[in-house]
Amino acid sequence: MPPLLLAAAAEAASCTPMRLNDLGHLLQVMGTFLGLSLFSLGGGNTLLTEYHHLSVEQYCWLRPSQFADIYALAEAAPGPSSMIVGLLGMGAGWPEGPGWALLTAYGAEIAILLPSTLLMVVACLSWNRLRDSPWRVAFERGLGPITLGILFAVGVKILKTADTNAAGVVVSLLVCVLMLRTRISPLWFMAVAGGLGAFGLINR
Amino acid sequence: MTDASKLSPTAPAPGLRQLFSGMLMVALSAFGGGLSAWSQRIIVEQRRWMSNEEFLTGLTVARLFPGPNQINMAVYVGTFFRGLPGALAALAGMLLVPFTLLMGVGLLYFEFHTLPALDRVLAGVVAAAAGMALSMGFKILDQYWKDPMALLLAAVTFVLMTFFHVRLVPLVLVAGPLAMAWYWPRPSHTRPTAGAPR
Repeated sequence: MPPLLLAAAAEAASCTPMRLNDLGHLLQVMGTFLGLSLFSLGGGNTLLTEYHHLSVEQYCWLRPSQFADIYALAEAAPGPSSMIVGLLGMGAGWPEGPGWALLTAYGAEIAILLPSTLLMVVACLSWNRLRDSPWRVAFERGLGPITLGILFAVGVKILKTADTNAAGVVVSLLVCVLMLRTRISPLWFMAVAGGLGAFGLINR
Repeated sequence: MTDASKLSPTAPAPGLRQLFSGMLMVALSAFGGGLSAWSQRIIVEQRRWMSNEEFLTGLTVARLFPGPNQINMAVYVGTFFRGLPGALAALAGMLLVPFTLLMGVGLLYFEFHTLPALDRVLAGVVAAAAGMALSMGFKILDQYWKDPMALLLAAVTFVLMTFFHVRLVPLVLVAGPLAMAWYWPRPSHTRPTAGAPR
């Protein structure tokens, strides 16, 4: 077996799902999201590769296809798409039953929102001083390009995770162009693509 | 100052309960999308809590700071009138219905996602969602197009994450300060533009 495959097999074997059947693990999950909160630049989508790493590779809460499903559900549902963290928490707690899954879902969502909310409150209260500060200007201009790079990395990561057949990749690229060139609601793209999936034209 | 902006903030400052219900209205109205347009319509035009200028300042702050933009906007509106308790009330109003709905969807998903029919539909939906994810970078690419340094920073970030699997937190902690140093406002010169000597 080539060394690369061996390494991949070893990694897959070492990745046993982290059980969340006690409060200690739940707090660990919340701690992880608390620490990530302040890195949600550019509206929060910059965290998606990190969510993928945590839930699929590190803690094994979800299989890659489940992560792709959950991303799609969070995008399709009304409201801020950052609510995906609630679904990640739900996936983490699911082996312990729906009740525990809901608890971890709420815990994860609160954890990801709390630090950025507190910072935002401070920012609002001191905005008059912050507005003309060189720190604000440098932060805005400097972090913008980094956010741009991260968002491209996120796009590629989600595309890889979706892992559909050639027809699916063509649909992905087409949707990307249509998102940029038209104002059609993305729900239509999802509905049509879902239909193509039902008829077996897109599969994975 | 236009007449409209003189007229608009006539309503008394909302209390916690009104902040909650106002944001609940925004979230419900925006079910088909266009959340920021709806919050402007409801907060500025219907309830007249803020002037348009104050609202736009909120959008700027919400985009600048970490956290989802729409959620940050709710926090801004809440903080503006009632500080931290106001922020929490506004946030609860904004999230209550969408999050409850999403939890319902999530429970159904985890219960039934192994059904072959559902999995087939989801395979298609996932392809469309991947296209949406791919478009996010292109959407903000235009504003950096004339700044070679920005494009270089973005390219290096992309390559490090995609091909060298550098994690987000160390990346931002190292690249962030470097980029901030480069873009630190210099009083004598204008901001770095394409081809300008440093």
